Amino acid sequence: MRTEFIRIYKSVHTWTGIIAGMALFIAFYAGALTIFKEPIARWATAPSPLYGSAIALEHAPALIVRTLQSQAGAARDFRLHLQSAEHLPKGLSWQVRQPTDDEHDTSTARYYIATLETEGGTQVAEVQPSGLVKLIDSLHRVVGLPADTDPNRWLMGIIAVLYTLALVSGVIVLLPSLVKDFFALRVGKNLKRMWLDAHNVVGIASLPFHLVMALSAVVFAYHDGFYLIQNKISLDGKSPSAARQASPSGAPRDLAQLLTPALLLARVQALSPSFEASSLQYLNTLTPRASVRVWGHDPAAHSPRLTGGFVALDPYTGKVTNADFLPGRQSSANAVIGSFFALHFGTYGGAPVRWLYFLLGLAGAWLFYSGNLLWLETRRKKAAANRIAETSPVPQRRDVRWLACATVGVCLGAVAGLSLTIVAAKWLHGHVASPNAWHPLIYYAVFGAALVWSFWCGAARAAIQLLWLAAAATLAIPVTSLLAWAWPALGMWTHTSAAALGVDATALLGGLGLIWMARATRQRALHGPADSVWAITAARSVRCARDR
Amino acid sequence: MGALKPAAMARDWVAKILAGTLLGFTLALACSALFARLASGMALAARGQLAMWMLAPIWLGVLASVFFFRSGKHAWLGLGSANLLVLGLLALSRYL
Repeated sequence: MRTEFIRIYKSVHTWTGIIAGMALFIAFYAGALTIFKEPIARWATAPSPLYGSAIALEHAPALIVRTLQSQAGAARDFRLHLQSAEHLPKGLSWQVRQPTDDEHDTSTARYYIATLETEGGTQVAEVQPSGLVKLIDSLHRVVGLPADTDPNRWLMGIIAVLYTLALVSGVIVLLPSLVKDFFALRVGKNLKRMWLDAHNVVGIASLPFHLVMALSAVVFAYHDGFYLIQNKISLDGKSPSAARQASPSGAPRDLAQLLTPALLLARVQALSPSFEASSLQYLNTLTPRASVRVWGHDPAAHSPRLTGGFVALDPYTGKVTNADFLPGRQSSANAVIGSFFALHFGTYGGAPVRWLYFLLGLAGAWLFYSGNLLWLETRRKKAAANRIAETSPVPQRRDVRWLACATVGVCLGAVAGLSLTIVAAKWLHGHVASPNAWHPLIYYAVFGAALVWSFWCGAARAAIQLLWLAAAATLAIPVTSLLAWAWPALGMWTHTSAAALGVDATALLGGLGLIWMARATRQRALHGPADSVWAITAARSVRCARDR
Repeated sequence: MGALKPAAMARDWVAKILAGTLLGFTLALACSALFARLASGMALAARGQLAMWMLAPIWLGVLASVFFFRSGKHAWLGLGSANLLVLGLLALSRYL
């Protein structure tokens, strides 16, 4: 009976994995990059007097009042930035969205910055913040589809459900032999055994991470629907949104009585001395519902949201209106809810945890890639032992060949496409009117071309060529920075902050890693078993015959 | 006998998955309603959010274990009774 269960769960694992695997590869590779989306945004932002430094706190009150008096679009929601980084505006920023916009779709939004001029006036400019990290984020959230819309998020939800099933079934299959298999990485002649051992080790070692990701991804995809159903059947008849505080009624506010940011920050400091504020978000400042959210991090606590946590105050009286999201000062119920977000985003424990999440994300991507390889290897037709494989390769089944092509094209296409679209942030600057429209075009052009190329040439050749392409595209990141530094006439830039140089250094290591993979794959293609979809044999492939 | 087993599995996997998907979801809803009832001392906003977050683990936990049922019929009967049990507890909790 027990072996019967194992067999059923093995097929559950196989089929959920094979359906969701490639989508999950993109989600995890892009997700690993989103862990460092702030450094990537810093790397990609062109130097400008409007960015890169923070205004002095004592100048902020005058800037806020003047902006509110002259800019109707700012009153609903604007932000005062307290930190200086290459991608952070100097002063205030806000966006004006079309009323038709979806919560996550900001493609039609227009962005503005207000800053102080040296003579004491205010300067308002419409800007185009780099859309690069938004693209990466969106690829992560909707498994590589072009738009972050409701249907695409529901599709991501289905992928996440399959992913959960794949995780549970994978563990069930492995359980009987866990002790024996977990501590064994059998490196040697049997390549499939080695890949299976590695797949198991990575899967079991990062299981908690994967369970967190799978379940929270399901919630992120379906939370609206979940709340809707719960409210419909709920015996309480109340939802968290209905429980939000009723807005206090009253007369419109007098701007002259607006408290200074310094006073508001002092109020927050008194509430939580270890909280490090990064920005002030003013909401509906001219209305009776006026509120200011002081956003920031607490190095000693987890952040309940991706961008940190906040405490909301009345900007005119300084009264704290909501401290439910203040890191380290949350009620236990709110801290538990916040931890679901922190565990998904890696917003706890600082830089070491972010690096851990980055590596776990890459390991996750590898897990799905290796899962597909194992599927292929299991279905491969082996040559008879006495046959000389070089002269007569065994024809593999069509679905095996196609899945090999798709795996190579999708996975390596995503890697190369992401690297190239990052590089484009510097090369396109100043040459095209809207670089943000180019980022998705470049990504999908590379991705689509890689997929077509893979099916055209066969997986064995395409894997090598696309690995070299991915390596070149990734190495182009630090090379571009180097060129920009050596030849300022190119019109590009090299930021020297640790964050921006960290992007260059990480890309350098990643590119070298891809070169190693390309060489290893070539070695296998030419000298590995010939009765494999990864073998390049003279008899099989005449297309793309560019044997090095 | 051994040759019959895969066929039995193939015949029932749709029924099992349907049971896990539908009855697993209703079970998760019933459990979250029971939680909301029992945790009435908690602030409403937090209670509602926790009740929502517990849907996915219960639902998918049930869906993932549904293949342990011997047949599709067993899955529907087992999960149906689990639903009735939690709904019964929910009804009882009204008199607490």
